[in-house]
Amino acid sequence: MEKKVVNQSNIRRSNPIAMLKKNAMLIILVLVYIFFTIMTKGRMFKPTSFASLINQNAYVYILGCGMLMCMLTGGNIDLSCGAFVCLLGALGGMMMVVWKWGTALSLVAMLAVGVIYGCGLGALIAYVMVPPWIATLAGYLAFRGLGTSILGVSSTNSISFKDSPDFLSIFSGTLFKSPEGQLNMPCLIVGIVAAALVVLLVFKNRATRLRKGYEVDALEMDAAKSILGAFVILLVMYKLAMAGGIPTVLVWVAAVVLIYAFITSKTTIGRHFYVVGGNIEAARLSGVNTRRIMFLAYLNMAILTSISAMTVISRFTAANADAGKNFEMDAISACVVGGVSASGGAGTVLGMVIGATLIGVINLGMFQINLDANYQRVVKGFVLLAAVVFDILSKKRDR
Amino acid sequence: MTMSERKISVGAFFQKYTMVIALVVVVVFFAIATGGGSLKPGSINNLISQNGYVFVLAAGMLCCILTGGNIDLSVGSVVCFTASIGCVMMDRGANMWLAVLAMLAIGLAIGVFQGFWIAKIHVPAFIATLSGMYAFRGLSNVVLQGYRVDISNEKFLFLFGGGRDCYIPDYIRQWTGAEGKPNLTCLAIGIIAIVIYVLMTIRRIHVQKKLNLHQSILGQVITTAAISAVVFFVTWQMANFRGLPTVLIWIALVLGIYQYITTKTAMGRHLYAVGGNEKATALSGVKTRNVYWFAYASIGLMAGLAGILTAARAKGIDPTYGEGYEMDAIASCFIGGASAYGGTGKVSGMIIGAVLMGVINQGMNMVGVDSNLQRVVKGLVLLAAVIFDVMSKRQKR
Repeated sequence: MEKKVVNQSNIRRSNPIAMLKKNAMLIILVLVYIFFTIMTKGRMFKPTSFASLINQNAYVYILGCGMLMCMLTGGNIDLSCGAFVCLLGALGGMMMVVWKWGTALSLVAMLAVGVIYGCGLGALIAYVMVPPWIATLAGYLAFRGLGTSILGVSSTNSISFKDSPDFLSIFSGTLFKSPEGQLNMPCLIVGIVAAALVVLLVFKNRATRLRKGYEVDALEMDAAKSILGAFVILLVMYKLAMAGGIPTVLVWVAAVVLIYAFITSKTTIGRHFYVVGGNIEAARLSGVNTRRIMFLAYLNMAILTSISAMTVISRFTAANADAGKNFEMDAISACVVGGVSASGGAGTVLGMVIGATLIGVINLGMFQINLDANYQRVVKGFVLLAAVVFDILSKKRDR
Repeated sequence: MTMSERKISVGAFFQKYTMVIALVVVVVFFAIATGGGSLKPGSINNLISQNGYVFVLAAGMLCCILTGGNIDLSVGSVVCFTASIGCVMMDRGANMWLAVLAMLAIGLAIGVFQGFWIAKIHVPAFIATLSGMYAFRGLSNVVLQGYRVDISNEKFLFLFGGGRDCYIPDYIRQWTGAEGKPNLTCLAIGIIAIVIYVLMTIRRIHVQKKLNLHQSILGQVITTAAISAVVFFVTWQMANFRGLPTVLIWIALVLGIYQYITTKTAMGRHLYAVGGNEKATALSGVKTRNVYWFAYASIGLMAGLAGILTAARAKGIDPTYGEGYEMDAIASCFIGGASAYGGTGKVSGMIIGAVLMGVINQGMNMVGVDSNLQRVVKGLVLLAAVIFDVMSKRQKR
């Protein structure tokens, strides 16, 4: 009896309106999605739209995770990732197609190049103390030039991966392939398992927090959260089941997002990223190895950039000089729209995922309603601004 | 700083002027590599004309960066947008001054608009200006309907540095009736500028003495002599070419105004203060909101001016113009020693950064480096310069 009373006092009081305000960006996402579904007369809600949303934005989620870690350390960003995607794509093309190294060796070599660059960049930023802006601006300028001149071996400035089916199936293939329009059972089962896991995790987390005496949300809130999460997963997986299976790139994205969600929320090293961003001097004086954190942030970014380069060249089945253009902007906007602080210390992987999805939905929606490309940019600009303004204003009134 | 440190020492000199030394090395390198070609009058003239927009945009960008590493990503698109409107207006027969006024006003209005979101609503500057980058690029295309619009207004081209005759005519030789070179007006303006500069230095040293500030007089004299020599060399070369390009007047005007704002005015100090510690500045009674507003309005106006210069130099406008201009401006500021976290940076440093980038670009073009490799070299030089700068400053501590 007494124990229950203690537990009661730990339950955070939350009224629905505050909850809605806290999740303003999620609500905007839903509204924007509904808007485009109506505008496209339901086409936006079709299975193929879900599949293309994932395929087109896979790189944003992957790079977004890396950018999040960089931004957490104090609003530092990586401008070089887009150009590095281009360079790695070109190198991958040389290895796989021109030198015929074989898929496994090429992928390992690409990753190795990423690790080497990441170590170099991390060392420059963490130990030589070159401001990240400049260190990565140099890469931004240099890598695309280097990539383009490597691609110069081909007369079309592009290397095709048509003859590397292994590589293509790893990064842009489909798991449990089935004809479009047919319900794909394995795909659905994966969805059900994932949804069940989400519900389980939310409640296990709640139980742990209660046991340790931490504050928890009201039971209804946690229930709503888990049901919503499970519903979204089921919906996406159902749509993918109808669209012909799980794109392999989703596996990569899910793995990266889950790993980073775990690192940022559950591990000591993850907390250190937030601490460094909050107050680097205080973090250093509390015994956090701040230099190592900065080093890891950029090493990590380079590794994720390598993975995203693989997914991108595989999706286009070619390495182009244009690959990766503006990727850095996409990743940064996904983070900032998702509530990651531009001055560091605040932001979550889930927020970034919502931000990235919102931008992806806007892009796909405008494409589907056949908006003129010039107006697309105008709308994108204003929607981006409006979304962030709405988010800020809704939080401001809460205080 | 103690008095002993004020004394000039070779080591301290190198540390303070790393970027200047880097610039000298690069200039000498390309002068040798091109067999003196990069120092010829035509090359110096091109260096100024081609990089006019960089100086103008970087001056505005410096103010934004000073407020805390905030940048303006939209300038490239705003340059294109304002130039598009101006060109279309002139193309339809509008008065040239009306078009110029419209371009500046639109630039300013965009700056105020973006400043509103940043200063008042606290939207991150990155997002507010990124959305401007998308929106105004799209709008430029809408205004131009995807096509290039040419400028045929000779007076506009003359005043803002486009075409073959965008140079200040040699009034002195016209007046005296003497023919030939060098261009005496150009020389006279250069010499007047040097004299004013020297007088200002003398006055500054005088004030320092009166206030008992222990600044190294020798250092200031050397700096002044070196800058005067460079200015004289540049004017001499241009006097032997076609004279003073009109675009230089606009650059000098902008740089002069920004130098004054950042060093002599309260608003200038506030820019540094906000970048140093925004909360402390607000608590000291500064309306930080106005500081942001000023920074973004000013870069909007500069984008308008850069739009005018770009359109004039290209004798028209194309929907793709201005792409990457934001990076040029940002890079100039950072190479010139502005901190990515705000609070430090000078106009003089920014000028050196912009010139360094310009010299490297032009030098590589003259040497005939492949355009892809040019980007690689540019990146590496940028990195090397900054590493050198960071390392030499660290040894000082």
